[in-house]
Amino acid sequence: MATIAPPEVRRPNLPSANVPLPALRDYEQVDNEIIATLKPTVPWFGAVLVSVFCMLIGAAAWTYQIYWGLGQAGYAPPVMWGVYIVTFVFWVGIGHAGTLISAILYLFRAGFRTTIYRCAEAMTVFAVMTAGLFPIIHIGRPWKFFWLIPYPNWRLIWPQFKSPLVWDVFAITTYLIVSTTFLYVGLIPDIAVLRDREKNPIRKRIFAVLSLGWRNTEAEWRHFARAYLFLAAFSTPLVLSVHSVVSFDFAVTLVPGWHTTVFPPYFVAGAIFSGIGMVFTIIIPVRKWFNLQHYVTLNHLDAAAKMCLFTSMVVGCAYIMEFWVAWYSGNPYEQNFFWNRVFGQWWWAAWIMLLCNCVLPLSLFWQKLRRNTTWLFILSLFINLGMWYERFVIVIPSLSNEFEPWQWTHYLPSWVDMALLLGSFGWFFMWFLLFVKQLPVIAIAEIKEIVPPKMRVHGGVGHHVAAERSASAQTGGRH
Amino acid sequence: MAGILGVYANLDSLLESVEELKRQNFRDLDVYSPAPRPELEEAVKPPISPVRVYTLIGGLLGATFGYWVAIWTSEYWPLVVGGKAIASWIPYTVIGFEMFVLVGSLATVAGMFINSRVPKLTLTIGFDTRFTHGDYGIFVRCTPERASAAEALLHQYGAEEVRSES
Repeated sequence: MATIAPPEVRRPNLPSANVPLPALRDYEQVDNEIIATLKPTVPWFGAVLVSVFCMLIGAAAWTYQIYWGLGQAGYAPPVMWGVYIVTFVFWVGIGHAGTLISAILYLFRAGFRTTIYRCAEAMTVFAVMTAGLFPIIHIGRPWKFFWLIPYPNWRLIWPQFKSPLVWDVFAITTYLIVSTTFLYVGLIPDIAVLRDREKNPIRKRIFAVLSLGWRNTEAEWRHFARAYLFLAAFSTPLVLSVHSVVSFDFAVTLVPGWHTTVFPPYFVAGAIFSGIGMVFTIIIPVRKWFNLQHYVTLNHLDAAAKMCLFTSMVVGCAYIMEFWVAWYSGNPYEQNFFWNRVFGQWWWAAWIMLLCNCVLPLSLFWQKLRRNTTWLFILSLFINLGMWYERFVIVIPSLSNEFEPWQWTHYLPSWVDMALLLGSFGWFFMWFLLFVKQLPVIAIAEIKEIVPPKMRVHGGVGHHVAAERSASAQTGGRH
Repeated sequence: MAGILGVYANLDSLLESVEELKRQNFRDLDVYSPAPRPELEEAVKPPISPVRVYTLIGGLLGATFGYWVAIWTSEYWPLVVGGKAIASWIPYTVIGFEMFVLVGSLATVAGMFINSRVPKLTLTIGFDTRFTHGDYGIFVRCTPERASAAEALLHQYGAEEVRSES
């Protein structure tokens, strides 16, 4: 007699719009557990020390370069854009996933963003702060940076508004200010929670000032929700514009490998992909060390991994498109350049890029690997590496193999370049580590929106009506 | 203005109290919730937030400034390049857009602050720190003659603590 096999136990494949948090019972638990993450620990002090040490190495290298001149960087004419511009583009890109997760996914009502967006948003602010240093380092005389700002002056020289370099100044500055504002506005209700729980009078006073006297009234929530929605709506086109503007730095030139219309979407997709990689690099240790596995669940990581896989394939498509256009154009310079990119002087960089950005992320087609935090963390390191090399492959081979063969040259980063690259990571992680012990790394107010509110157990006047309202509101979100 | 503060553990008790207070013509209420809840908006029935007006005006001013600063600069310090326009709106759209976003965003936040009456550097009467933790609350501003009626109503609809504040 045939037997009916028991149903196979499958891992959940949840829609990413609504990822539940069953381990959270009430608001008090949320407050207590998230506030508990703010207590400094010995490993945290160790991590801060390592970051500060790396940052100091970068600072020392910058000081050395300022004293001896820009020749200490590894520039070899005509390769006058090197590690600094590569690293600038890399860090701007890292910031993009933060805005994607906090703003774009908010507009799309993707529920899995709730527990990871604060980390991603803070990452954006610190990444853009890091990126902003590199053009200043690159110009050699950082004290002249203000020449890019348009204001009446005695030298009667004004910025050239038709130059992408000036667009960059406006785009990056706007991005930094709006991202910081977005982060701070979202933090206000959470800082109010800290203010009312804090015992230390000095910290309490600081939180009182930072929370601006927030009291959680219905009117405050209403204006907050509206402002948050509009900030998200502003941030969405902003994030797309910023990396498009960065890509214009390259695309408006006639240099082979740069002069292409695919650059803006290609840069934006790459930026989001690299940022998601950095989100994994940050969020996986954070959830483990802060015991937040029941907030950032495997379902959240699974959904984020799907996004990672998708953006990886978009980036892969952009790579293929570049090669295809070079072949189809019939332009021998373009064709030679792209052949050289993968089989010439810089072949190793191009293959690192392709392996890390296009091949390894395909592993995320397997759900088992999407839910394996060890693999996600390792993969995220490869993605970070691959995306830095993507920018290296864009910048260096194009400049070292331009139109004139007599100009073709080799480029080797100097120790100053590499020390500043290391310093940038130290600078970024120092700010992030300081952030996670001063302010909530998970958005308390938004988590409370997911947790079912307390209701009277034994009924009462209008009890059922309120319960029904609450049930319908669970699916409605903030508005 | 003085009033009565009620602290609630349950959302449904709070909603019923709000509805009953409105029925009894207590209009000047501050309703507190640890998290934004759409049910509160349904119960309070507030006007639409005017933050959008600040956003619109800020965005338009920002875009205007962005185009203006680029065009004015070009005219003031012209770079004449082979028959090309001195002021060209296409590249200046980048500046216009960035200024649109920047000023629009800051105006939005200003609108939120102005309408929410923040910053307040001292917490005024009618607030309890439990409202940022896990409890709900209502502060009813009323004349001393109606205070006892409000107090009784809050008790009747399940307030865990009711106190007079002035």
